[in-house]
Amino acid sequence: MRYHRVLLPLLLVAAWELAAYFIANPFILPSLTTVVPILANPMSMTYTLGTGSLLENAFASIQRVGLGFLLAASIAIPLGILMGRSVALTDLLDSPIELLRPIPPLAWVPLALAWFKIGLTSIVFIIFIGAFFPILLNTVDGVRAVKKTWVEVATTLGASERQILTKVVLPGAAPTVWTGLRVGFGIAWMCVVAAEWLPGISQGLGYLILYAYNFGQTNLIIAGMVVIGLIGLAIDLVFKRVERRWFSWRELER
Amino acid sequence: MKRILLPLFVGLLLCGVLLSGCVTEKPPAASGETVIVTYTKGTGPMPTLLGTDQIDGYIAWQPFVEVPPLANIGKVLVYSGDLPPAGRWKNHPCCVFTARADAISGSPDITNALTASLILATQYLEKNPDESAELVADWLAGKGNFTYGNISVSSVEVLARAFPTVKFVNEPTDEWKRSNLEFVYAQRELGVLTGSLQNSTDQESLSILFDSTPYDAAKAMVDKRSFVTPRPAKGPIGVGYLMSDHHAALFVAIKKWQYFNDTYGIAIRPRDLAASRPDTADLIVNGQPVAELKLVSGDAGPQLMQLMSTGNIQYALVGNPPAIAAADKGTPVKIVMAVNEEGSGVVVSKSSPATDWASFVAWAKERSVAGKPLKIAAPGKGSIQDVMLRYSLEASGLSVREG
Repeated sequence: MRYHRVLLPLLLVAAWELAAYFIANPFILPSLTTVVPILANPMSMTYTLGTGSLLENAFASIQRVGLGFLLAASIAIPLGILMGRSVALTDLLDSPIELLRPIPPLAWVPLALAWFKIGLTSIVFIIFIGAFFPILLNTVDGVRAVKKTWVEVATTLGASERQILTKVVLPGAAPTVWTGLRVGFGIAWMCVVAAEWLPGISQGLGYLILYAYNFGQTNLIIAGMVVIGLIGLAIDLVFKRVERRWFSWRELER
Repeated sequence: MKRILLPLFVGLLLCGVLLSGCVTEKPPAASGETVIVTYTKGTGPMPTLLGTDQIDGYIAWQPFVEVPPLANIGKVLVYSGDLPPAGRWKNHPCCVFTARADAISGSPDITNALTASLILATQYLEKNPDESAELVADWLAGKGNFTYGNISVSSVEVLARAFPTVKFVNEPTDEWKRSNLEFVYAQRELGVLTGSLQNSTDQESLSILFDSTPYDAAKAMVDKRSFVTPRPAKGPIGVGYLMSDHHAALFVAIKKWQYFNDTYGIAIRPRDLAASRPDTADLIVNGQPVAELKLVSGDAGPQLMQLMSTGNIQYALVGNPPAIAAADKGTPVKIVMAVNEEGSGVVVSKSSPATDWASFVAWAKERSVAGKPLKIAAPGKGSIQDVMLRYSLEASGLSVREG
């Protein structure tokens, strides 16, 4: 860990405190001293307005986002491979995808409720919407960007379509697909507030933020935001580490 | 050259459209002195807006009326029952217990039992306000602290202050039913009623909105202290509510389930006995679980009515305006009984010279003449609080502008 990486965050915290001191209106900029006790006691029930501990809330969110993300990946990757290999399929699906892609997941909330009813399915659906498109588009791009010469060489050497797919296309596209997964997870994680806006749940970081908002509890909202940020950062680090370890050949190949 | 002209033309056109939007849209000139009413989609942002001087006051439901004095950012001007004209809003209707029509007709015994549970809890509330306030603080905030700015106050304290200003009553008297019609008129005026209640007579409105047969049956059982055991329901049943102390009856019914079970043989027992806010419970009559209840908290009444229209929930505690709006649009919802009366209030900023309604009106006129009309926040257009605020302002010779 290089120390200068934590330098700026620390400076920002200090600047926040300093500004809070001079503005002297906690409604504009609350002092972080009201936030620190919440973060320092992630197992405590005292600070979270009866939603369970901060840790339980985080765990509930990670579970939901994980499920939605896995579902999105398991549909988007195969579909992306098919689209990457077939021009006809791309022509068919491209416009509906481009039409649905810009719709923010939050807008799906009322329909999700009507279709999937109260419960985990609706929540997972909202996360799915967020994660699906980046994974799909990156997969399509990855498959298309596999060098023609590689495929041609394999064909000349008598490889079957199946062999081309598993031995050439998939490994060749893997780095881009992985980028898609990384971006997709980031967006899925961002959707946690929208997803947990759905009624009928009583835990989760997004729920916690919205619940705190109902009561105007700025310090709890900030604590929730910090935890969402930290978890997002941690998971992104894992994605990056895998990328560096397994897909660094891409840089050599260029 | 032509290649440049087209984008240029489109760009100019866009600018024109954008500018005309700014220039031509003038608010209709209101006559006389005005007050600006601004809608905040709920009560969450209100203390922040008041604490940052973006509004001069707000009207909200409890416990948000008690927050400004505790957080040292404002003071209570008037509780809703005392809003002018004098006596007009005494015992004004507020939240109601609603049921889907097919739940009333299809499983009358369960509807009656649930209604009876809430009646018993309401009776308990009125007799034991201090204990009930604490139970509600546990439900809403796990008995934790509310933090506003750098001031932290115990939720138990906030609710203990709020509780005496809410009247917990159930009986759907004819007078009470008629007083609900005030909100039908108000919504007509706002133009939001487009269905069955748009042109209905009062008598028609009453029969569209109300069905108090479950109340009558439940009240009879409560009076006799003997309850019919319903046939067990097949699937889970959804009960919607809002995170407000107005819905204390439901929270107390669940938190004190043991007491109600031992005393009356009818109770709503939470599955998770340790949770602050359980989300699953069993309706138990004479020792027998008869229905699994899914307790669904919505963030506003309209959302609960949407859930009811899609069959996600069968019963809901909501404010009467969303129930009226939903019934108008054809949702098969019936108002069974009252949940509470009054329980809202107007607060003003700490620096305000107003100490009562009369001095508030004087302040509002002074500010309007000075070209800086007061800005008062209300939770939503057409909400109980909005309707009362507008009515009272207009009755005091002030006109209302949205902003």
